Amino acid sequence: MADGRRSGGGGRGRGEKKDGEKGGPRRGMFRRKKICKFCTEKVDYIDYKDAKMLLPFVPERAKILPRRISGVCAMHQRKLQTAIKRARQLALLPYATD
Amino acid sequence: MSDVRKYELVYILSPDATEPQITELHTQVESIIARYQGEFIKTENWGRRRMAFRIGKHREGTYVLEVFTGTGELTKELDRRLKVIDHVIRHLIVRVDEELRVAERVRARRQADVDRRIAKGLPVGGPSRRSRDDDGDSDSGGETEVR
Repeated sequence: MADGRRSGGGGRGRGEKKDGEKGGPRRGMFRRKKICKFCTEKVDYIDYKDAKMLLPFVPERAKILPRRISGVCAMHQRKLQTAIKRARQLALLPYATD
Repeated sequence: MSDVRKYELVYILSPDATEPQITELHTQVESIIARYQGEFIKTENWGRRRMAFRIGKHREGTYVLEVFTGTGELTKELDRRLKVIDHVIRHLIVRVDEELRVAERVRARRQADVDRRIAKGLPVGGPSRRSRDDDGDSDSGGETEVR
């Protein structure tokens, strides 16, 4: 059974990938193009002291929001990450909440 | 150029630290900076704030920010001193000059780009990023303001 499952899974995986390459963008659901908040607002320096600004990027559990969801560009995500971690050291942002 | 390092120091005092204690610590910090030939730039007292989590048994603390230039030796000394003082419940020293310099450079480059585009009579705001499927209301905001 395990064997069958494994091969089946692999096959499907490959199939899915092909699907994604071909018709991914126009598959049914409408997906809005994400844009980097910091690029549009032309923020050069993400300040760790500004907890209010960082707050939207640490929802609920206080985990750092992944950029696949927020749409922040790689460079700004990197800067955001250090800013959030610094803010946490100063108890401006929580490490975790339950 | 590169040997002037700019630092930010933020420390949190326990909520039962008195006003004279706060000013005393501030003058202490300033004198240490002076002793190590650093230059004191500014201070900011954020007052009493609720912290995001408890540190020790405290739920709130008085935040103080100091900005200064100096050497690594100076930060080492400050670090050592602040660790010893009892009513400082947390402190953080961050070197900021490099990041600020990068930010400055990015801003300058963007400004230069805008100037060049104006000189050429081109539309300001980058080569059209919203080329394909134009869902553009939200992302055209910054771009179409100036022609």
